[in-house]
Amino acid sequence: MAHVFDTMGTVVTLISTAERATLASVEDVFREADARFSLYRPDSELSRIAAGDLTLMNSSSELRSTYAAALDWRHKTDGIFTPNRPDGVVDLNGIVKAQAIRDAGTVLEHAGCRDFCLNVGGDILVSGVQPDGASWTVGLVDPSNPKMLVCSIVLEGSRRAVATSGSAERGDHIWLGGSTGPAEFVQASVVADDIVTADVLATAIIAGGRATLDDITSRWDVDVLTVDRAGELLATPGLRQALAA
Amino acid sequence: MRTRAVLTSIFASAGVLVVGWQLGAATAAHNTALTTLTTSKTTGSPASSATVGAKATPTATASASASAAAPAAAAPATAAPAAAAPASSKDGTWQGSTIQTPFGNVQVQVTIAGGKITDVTPLQMTGPDGHSTRIDNQAVPMLLQEVLSAQSANVSSIGGATYTSDGYLQSLQAALSQAGF
Repeated sequence: MAHVFDTMGTVVTLISTAERATLASVEDVFREADARFSLYRPDSELSRIAAGDLTLMNSSSELRSTYAAALDWRHKTDGIFTPNRPDGVVDLNGIVKAQAIRDAGTVLEHAGCRDFCLNVGGDILVSGVQPDGASWTVGLVDPSNPKMLVCSIVLEGSRRAVATSGSAERGDHIWLGGSTGPAEFVQASVVADDIVTADVLATAIIAGGRATLDDITSRWDVDVLTVDRAGELLATPGLRQALAA
Repeated sequence: MRTRAVLTSIFASAGVLVVGWQLGAATAAHNTALTTLTTSKTTGSPASSATVGAKATPTATASASASAAAPAAAAPATAAPAAAAPASSKDGTWQGSTIQTPFGNVQVQVTIAGGKITDVTPLQMTGPDGHSTRIDNQAVPMLLQEVLSAQSANVSSIGGATYTSDGYLQSLQAALSQAGF
């Protein structure tokens, strides 16, 4: 059964056999993350830090550990991914949603749900198989024509997560570290074993372009599909293999 | 000599002195192949030497150990494969073990045709910044035709960037939900 709810300014679709109580726990994961980290909520903990009403030193351990995780990703991506906005505000948007997806997945697993597909605004974490026993298959939207899919991929084995970042209409979605030119890729999808890695690296590829793409595919066990401004595709060998027939 | 030249150029240019590769089951006659590589000291680069023992067994597994590795600037290297490989039954593409060096992991793939090494491809390398690099995972162009068949695939879920999700994606998900999907 699909369970749909709104959170973090987007829609969550969870296909699973989870009981009502488990679904409530999953919703709580997102609600708590939204309440703590959303900068569009003036009363969120992160907004109070941005406003100077609260210092990082005195913030919750959840916030500090998330900030630490984001800084760790900044280090791993040579500064391409960063939680520090040019205006000085700490923005954890790049990692909070993925962490919430990861945590919701943990809730489901602890509740005994082996098979599920959790889609949060286009970023997807799956476990097990579909109700009919088939592997989960994810279609990736064509950025130039949202009514079309650019491809569909099968998530099997350890490959459980796919996240997509884009650079088109929302110029403020990703800061292109210092450069003012348009992003090289309009869309980057990363398939990985975990959703946080997938999401952070997809963001980094949009921000860093081809050089970052090559660096990431050489250093992480991930598969990537990018769409550039001309609509041309780049794909790693593993992604090509995962294409649904 | 062909073998030696190929190995020498690859190793010298990449600064990789250590490699083990799998030899096929047909190597029963040569169940121990030892490859020793040494580098000479060059001006401006630290003294370096490396020795690798690549032990091939009839079960086609290979093990190797690295005692040292040299920085990327290392120059003239001599390769001395001890075991001749005349058997064309070794033909094929073989991936070496992943070797850990102080500068990162190293792995190569070797192609043998007609009993001779025709190509050596680095699968993992160590870049000058110390980052291990997997060359075989590079994203390369994919033609739209290759993915067109995917349009008809029965998808369980739709992924996309946030901006595409705003309208289309959300409505699609809601529709899937309505359908009891």
